[in-house]
Amino acid sequence: MLEAQLDAIKSEVKDKIGAEDAAYIRRIILIQRICEWSGRILLMLGFLQPLLWVAGVLSLAAAKILDNMEIGHNVMHGQYDWMNDSHINSKRYEWDIACDGASWNRVHNYEHHTYTNIIGKDRDFGYGLLRLSNDFRWRVKNLWQFATYILLSVMFQWGVSYHEMAAERVFFGKKKKNRKNQVTHSELKKHFFSKGARQLVKDYVLFPLLAGPLFLWVLSGNLIANLLRNLWTSTIIFCGHFTGDVETFKAEDCKNETRGQWYYRQALGSSNIKGGNLFHILTGHLSFQVEHHLFPDIPARRYREMAPKVQAVFKQHGMHYNTGSFWKQYTSVLKRIVRYSFP
Amino acid sequence: MQQVKPAWRDGYYRAQVEAVRNLSSDMLEVILTPEKAWPSHIAGQHIALTIEVNGRLTTRVFTVVCGASFHRETKNIRLITKVNNEGALTPALSSITPNTWVNISAPKGNFTLPNTDKPVLMVAGGSRITPFIAMLEDAIENNLIHRAPVHLLYFAKPNEHVLQSELLALQKRANNFTFAVLTRQKDGDVKDYLSHFADAHWLVCGPNAMYEQVHEVAKLVRAPLDSEHFASLPTVNIESLSEKETFSLVHNGQHLSVNNQKSLLSQLQEAKQPVTYGCGMGICHQCQCVKKRGVVRDTRTGELSDSAEQLIQLCVSQAVTDLEIQL
Ligand code: FES
Repeated sequence: MLEAQLDAIKSEVKDKIGAEDAAYIRRIILIQRICEWSGRILLMLGFLQPLLWVAGVLSLAAAKILDNMEIGHNVMHGQYDWMNDSHINSKRYEWDIACDGASWNRVHNYEHHTYTNIIGKDRDFGYGLLRLSNDFRWRVKNLWQFATYILLSVMFQWGVSYHEMAAERVFFGKKKKNRKNQVTHSELKKHFFSKGARQLVKDYVLFPLLAGPLFLWVLSGNLIANLLRNLWTSTIIFCGHFTGDVETFKAEDCKNETRGQWYYRQALGSSNIKGGNLFHILTGHLSFQVEHHLFPDIPARRYREMAPKVQAVFKQHGMHYNTGSFWKQYTSVLKRIVRYSFP
Repeated sequence: MQQVKPAWRDGYYRAQVEAVRNLSSDMLEVILTPEKAWPSHIAGQHIALTIEVNGRLTTRVFTVVCGASFHRETKNIRLITKVNNEGALTPALSSITPNTWVNISAPKGNFTLPNTDKPVLMVAGGSRITPFIAMLEDAIENNLIHRAPVHLLYFAKPNEHVLQSELLALQKRANNFTFAVLTRQKDGDVKDYLSHFADAHWLVCGPNAMYEQVHEVAKLVRAPLDSEHFASLPTVNIESLSEKETFSLVHNGQHLSVNNQKSLLSQLQEAKQPVTYGCGMGICHQCQCVKKRGVVRDTRTGELSDSAEQLIQLCVSQAVTDLEIQL
């Protein structure tokens, strides 16, 4: 029943996908490029007028956020693969963050989206750093996990990048069925360092050097832009997954689950944030986290029209549709982090 | 980049649409101006044309229906196609406006006029007359046709012969070139005619069945044979999908036979082929690969794919025709 209803919502939207969506993503990519280049140029004009530098930082941060969220995340989910355009394609797209695209694809696209919130299988839950539910034993380090959280947010791109490696080590020796290592550890390391190094060189050596005497202006501008992007993405992602009433699941519950049950788990494992047009775009439409988890490969801008229908279906089944304002969701995340700091 | 150069795409050439004309109720002529970098073709070769249809890049193969000298002089090339109203590309092609940019591939194929002193016999079936028009045009233009006579047997269903006026015009320009317009219903099989041309070099372009007949006779009389035959796409009928059928799957140069009951992913795994995958349920796109040719069915929705090059997810695809994929 639930399965059929959600499938119907999906196929209805699927029929509409076409030229409009292709034009949309191309437009966003164009805007992203404009933001990026004007940001980089403005940073160098900072010596004329510091405000120009500030504008440059903001513009570059906006470019990085768009690249990460509305373009990178969504394209890599295969949302635009139907376009047959090799530049806008889940296998080819490489984003402007430290994490190697293919690694993200394996951990996030496969593990997190298949095994959403199944403790032990979805390694995104708490990122192995935070204790966010009673499913994990309390350890002393959880006492200061709020500080850990802040650090994770600041360094978020590196956290994402390190994710697969960290996880592989955690699960080392405990090879589960169905988890086949597609990449050797040495390859993982190689990708981690080469992609990471490229990012560091680009933002903190190459562009500052290009600016010549303005080296420090550009360097600090890039640093702040990256920081803003990290904080923003981390916050949005935490709000989508770790609000107060998000539920977790046990591996046993999910053996041989049907598609309907998978939908059910996706639905209760994520939460939405209300907001305006620009807000949705900047979150890459992850403000519609529920819809995203139900339909990860539908172009994200379509989640807006799907949301009311999904909500109606949930209501009919008496399921909780987790949504709220940004501040409400964010406070509830912070509460959750603090709450599980203690045994 | 595409803002400055519309339709700029890595690995493709660009071409601008010069004109689109209806030759008849269902035949369409498209004149394109390829960019300078495009390596010119040899008459008889084909190109892959890519246009955006409702946001999706769609590719089909077309013969270039003009000689290389025509391209040299006018900077244009000509394509001719039947409009298939159910098709994905040709209806969109008929509504394309002049000056639009499209993508084309480099010219491909080695179905060209042989360098021989023997007489030449051309056998064309249906709308596959197009490469011969190009070859004849160039041969006449370059005075090559004086060496030996060229005869063309042109088969099609009654009243479906196309470009006859062009054939007549070509015949006027070269008295060494003759052609016969035939229909199987009235004039019988292609086989009946071949015996007269045992000493010629044969060229065949048409449906598979016709090719096989010609090929058989060619072997008997030892006539040299060049051919271009597209195994025409089988028409897929939904009812037959439930019956178990086996198809051939070509991937990375290897052959495998697959059935239409299980997903391609599971069959590739059973055959111990190196495939990457994740969820096995169509979410993660890990198992994605490029389908070069053939039709697959989406096991989630039952939808049939396009027959041209496309990205597919192996875990939710079943074979509906013979396939070629790139892992
Ligand atoms: S294995 Fe995940 S989409 Fe095919």
